[in-house]
Amino acid sequence: MDVFIQLVVSGISVGMIYATIAFGYQLTFATSRTLNFGQGEALMLGAVVGLSLMPVLGYWAMLPVVLAFGLLQGVVVERLGVARAVAQKSEFGWVMSTIALGVIFKNVAENIWGRDDLKFPSPLPETPVVIAGAHILPMEFLILAGALAMMLAVELFNRRTIWGKAVVATANDSDAAGLMGINTPQIVTLSYAMSSMTAAFAGVLIAPVTLTGATMGTALGLKAFAVAIIGGLTSGLGVIVGGILLGISEKMTGYYLATGYADVPGLFLLLLVLAIRPDGLFGKRAIKKV
Amino acid sequence: MLKITGLQAGYGKVLVLHGLDLVVPRGNLVTLIGSNGAGKTTTLRAISGMIKPQAGQVFLDDQDIAGKPSHKIARAGLAHSPEGRRVFATLSVEDNLTLGAFSRLIGVRAKGDVSADLDRAFVMFPRLAERRKQLAGTLSGGEQQMLAIGRALMLNPSVLLLDEPSMGLAPLLVAEVFRAIANLKAQSITMLLVEQFAAAALEVADYAYVLENGRITISGKAADLKNDPAVKAAYLGGH
Ligand SMILES: Nc1ncnc2c1ncn2[C@@H]1O[C@H](COP(=O)(O)OP(=O)(O)OP(=O)(O)O)[C@@H](O)[C@H]1O
Ligand SMILES: [Mg+2]
Repeated sequence: MDVFIQLVVSGISVGMIYATIAFGYQLTFATSRTLNFGQGEALMLGAVVGLSLMPVLGYWAMLPVVLAFGLLQGVVVERLGVARAVAQKSEFGWVMSTIALGVIFKNVAENIWGRDDLKFPSPLPETPVVIAGAHILPMEFLILAGALAMMLAVELFNRRTIWGKAVVATANDSDAAGLMGINTPQIVTLSYAMSSMTAAFAGVLIAPVTLTGATMGTALGLKAFAVAIIGGLTSGLGVIVGGILLGISEKMTGYYLATGYADVPGLFLLLLVLAIRPDGLFGKRAIKKV
Repeated sequence: MLKITGLQAGYGKVLVLHGLDLVVPRGNLVTLIGSNGAGKTTTLRAISGMIKPQAGQVFLDDQDIAGKPSHKIARAGLAHSPEGRRVFATLSVEDNLTLGAFSRLIGVRAKGDVSADLDRAFVMFPRLAERRKQLAGTLSGGEQQMLAIGRALMLNPSVLLLDEPSMGLAPLLVAEVFRAIANLKAQSITMLLVEQFAAAALEVADYAYVLENGRITISGKAADLKNDPAVKAAYLGGH
């Protein structure tokens, strides 16, 4: 029973990472009907940049710098890979360019940080605390709290600030938003910045409990993509539920079947998505309204 | 003041407007009438930058705004309440109105007193005041129309474009919308009004243009056009 609780808790914490990345997919989809397929690499960059800053700043002071880096990285992705496709209302240009940028980021990271997995020092004690007989890492609570806080902060930004309202207005009706004096291409850039920021933050949240390195993001990005499609590209609650379900089923598979099978539920989910909506992923719903 | 010369615009390769000349003097209410598909909405879209004109000039006061992106045109002081209302469905009434003042709030247009203007909008449309926190998507058609007009006014515009503010409304609400328009006119707001109800539009306007197949065919003082036999036959039900 205690093992079960343990699996559930760590499933929830990794599930919240999936949810955070999927939430990032939603942010760009809302304003531009496009997705950043390099989202996993945005997470990876957040983690490795955070790792390099750790000796200088320590974990907590490193966070705002990584958030700022994530914002900037998102701006680069949007300006280089997406802006032109959106302006031309091109349906698929952005797919290739965001994938390509992701590959480039990965290669750059391999050159700077090497190909081997690195150990990210944990900001919290690495001895598990015992709750109801279950051994739980303090970092797993931090992941849960951090991911929720990030999503809440973005939500609050959207609801309370004039720029956040402009983001929602652009998501509602981009042409009408333009009539309000809202520079909608700029809002799309902003949503890419916020999307990469959430991914970079997820990177430094998960890094202490996993192996850190240039290759860490790809699988996470793919699984979170499946979560985003299943959970819905517009529902915040959907990706939280979807992420947690995936996280828990991975932990259960890994423990009760074999560690090697831990990735199976996620890949299965991805195949399921492709089977149910083979062209529907960015099919009708993604076509930009004229 | 709004002054348009030789305006050509359309969609893709299809030209809809074949060289339009039109003036809305400061403080005047000018109406543009014409049958379905004549190009009225296209005219307003080409003015406000929702579509790019292929030729011609659009002067807002003395600045040529033709071909600029819509957000720049809005920031220069032109407000457009578009066909079909286009309110932000998932935002509250109050947020919709606030977004009308976006350019003022981010400091790219003279700020003035935004909260006083918000109060004024609620005085002008009391139905909206009762529904301040309601999501715009859940408003009735008439309420959405008032919201669209109120939102456009929040820009503190020097020129206001209204595209069929009475579309789809019950007669009682149509009368209410026209009262609001007369009220704006009394405040000397410069307006270009596109309307289905040509009779009502000619009643409230100073000047009128008739658009047919993308060309102005008749223009003159609204009071004169009301009695013009051709206008009567085509747009006023022959009365
Ligand atoms: N988005 C569009 N894409 C292609 N053609 C369009 C588009 N919008 C309008 N048109 C065409 O342009 C022409 C003029 O349309 P417009 O909407 O300007 O007419 P209107 O005078 O506003 O008519 P109504 O009184 O029905 O609103 C029509 O032939 C219409 O089919
Ligand atoms: Mg029309």
